[in-house]
Amino acid sequence: MAVSADDTTAVRPTPSAVTVPARPGGRWKSWCAVAVVVLITAITLSPQWGIDFSLVAIARNWQNGTDKILLLLVPDWGFFPRTVPALAETLQMAVIATAVAAAVSLPLSLATARLTNPNAITRGIARTVLNVVRSIPDLLYAAILVAMVGVGALPGIIALLLFNVGIIVKMVSESIEANDPGALEAGRAAGGTQLQINRSAALPDILPSFVNQTLYVLELNVRASSVLGLVGAGGLGLLIDAVRTFYRYDQLSLIIVEILIIVMALDVLSNAVRRRLV
Amino acid sequence: MVVEHTSTPIAPSPWSVSMRDVSVRYASGVVALKNVSLDIEPGEMVSVVGLSGSGKSSLIRTINGLVPLTSGSLHVGGFQLETARAGELRRLRGHIGMIFQGFNLAKRTSVLNNVLVGRLAHTTTLRTLLGAYRASDRQIAFEALERVGILPKVWDRASSLSGGQQQRVAIARALCQQPRLVLADEPVASLDPPTAHEVMGDLRRINQELGITVITNLHLIDLARRYGTRIIGLRAGEVVFDGAVEAATDEVFAEIYGRSVASEDALGL
Ligand SMILES: Nc1ncnc2c1ncn2[C@@H]1O[C@H](COP(=O)(O)OP(=O)(O)O)[C@@H](O)[C@H]1O
Ligand SMILES: [Mg+2]
Repeated sequence: MAVSADDTTAVRPTPSAVTVPARPGGRWKSWCAVAVVVLITAITLSPQWGIDFSLVAIARNWQNGTDKILLLLVPDWGFFPRTVPALAETLQMAVIATAVAAAVSLPLSLATARLTNPNAITRGIARTVLNVVRSIPDLLYAAILVAMVGVGALPGIIALLLFNVGIIVKMVSESIEANDPGALEAGRAAGGTQLQINRSAALPDILPSFVNQTLYVLELNVRASSVLGLVGAGGLGLLIDAVRTFYRYDQLSLIIVEILIIVMALDVLSNAVRRRLV
Repeated sequence: MVVEHTSTPIAPSPWSVSMRDVSVRYASGVVALKNVSLDIEPGEMVSVVGLSGSGKSSLIRTINGLVPLTSGSLHVGGFQLETARAGELRRLRGHIGMIFQGFNLAKRTSVLNNVLVGRLAHTTTLRTLLGAYRASDRQIAFEALERVGILPKVWDRASSLSGGQQQRVAIARALCQQPRLVLADEPVASLDPPTAHEVMGDLRRINQELGITVITNLHLIDLARRYGTRIIGLRAGEVVFDGAVEAATDEVFAEIYGRSVASEDALGL
């Protein structure tokens, strides 16, 4: 059972005679994975089974494409006043959805992580619901919700909310599992309930990850909410749909510039917040 | 900051531990404790020694109900552990301070918030959620910090402290429970020798000045002898020695460890 102290002082072999232990097998697995990826790519490109796309079409229509790009390069600045209400609506949708999603996601993140919710049944239910929520794309949520509650910002906000909760909960819950469980163990040893332990020992450690994900989702929302309007869910998208229909690429260009500026501003803002908090 | 000392002692009355034929078997099938019978009197300072894997942590975790016993009976304070329900176990743990090898602090929050974790069992869930601890609980936390000489760090982030300071915060967290029993699982295994002696000295003061029962897991012989008054030797989950420090000779340790005692079994200094 016990190792005798003499064993550790046994004579070592000379460097020239080192015996390297046999390398473990299983390296073929990574080659198999590469082969499968190559095979699937080949199948998708093949004429019989693959999707129908050809570079020839791009070459044939390049003239057409160049015209559009030239139009996009010259934004119609005079269009700006008409974009302001839609822009404001997009920002409102993004901010409201982010705030509500953050508030809902924090308890849900704690409920889906094993360390903060040891109860397998409630954890399983929470995880299943979130997997379903996450598997549906935001545009599909918007389309369904527009049919249910009518055209406007509300279906857009609900669609963004569902989309956001899926993202925040997944990322934060993973960061909880990656954290050191020591503090939680100490909370349990001091006689705390799970809720008390989560608040006093788990929350401080997951706060940076939570703030990060929330800021990231805010940025996603500005971009996503401009697309949701295409199916009638409010914001810039409605305007994009209108100018696109009339081939006003100069006006579309202005809208793209506006989104770009907002996303860049959000990036600066979130970096500042992150530096303070993390 | 001035902390006024209240005249009440931190430990109202220390607890005893009584184990009868306790066995612990994990779900993996490993039997960590085999028919362990022990009686620890109120106010004792016990060192539990044994090789890694001998069951020291399992013994300590069984005493505060973190590990359920498979068979036997265990009486701690007024609680009978083999029949205790979840709520009772939480109340039991509220009276038992625990100190870990890895300090187990919430690193990103303040020293004070970490010490206040020791008040959880005496705080409502609503107050905890709002972070609104009672002024009296804060006072207990300040006093606990002062007792281990680390009150000046009360507003610092736990992660900014050195290892020895973090372990003192962990001891303050245990003291903040106003415990009747303190369990320490290899409390100095992550510390350098001088700091190890300081932290062991803190534990001894808790025992001598406050009268609290202290059970410490150690694998180093000199620390076990110097800071305990009684030594319990575990080997493969069984108690192979239980007696006064004076009786725990090198031969006894050779028996506990199943091999002759070597220099790495002592901290030195
Ligand atoms: N949670 C656990 N699940 C399964 N086996 C465990 C667990 N904790 C400890 N063990 C096993 O129980 C035995 C005793 O471990 P432990 O009580 O940690 O001993 P020590 O603290 O003296 O090193 C070891 O064989 C260990 O591998
Ligand atoms: Mg151990």
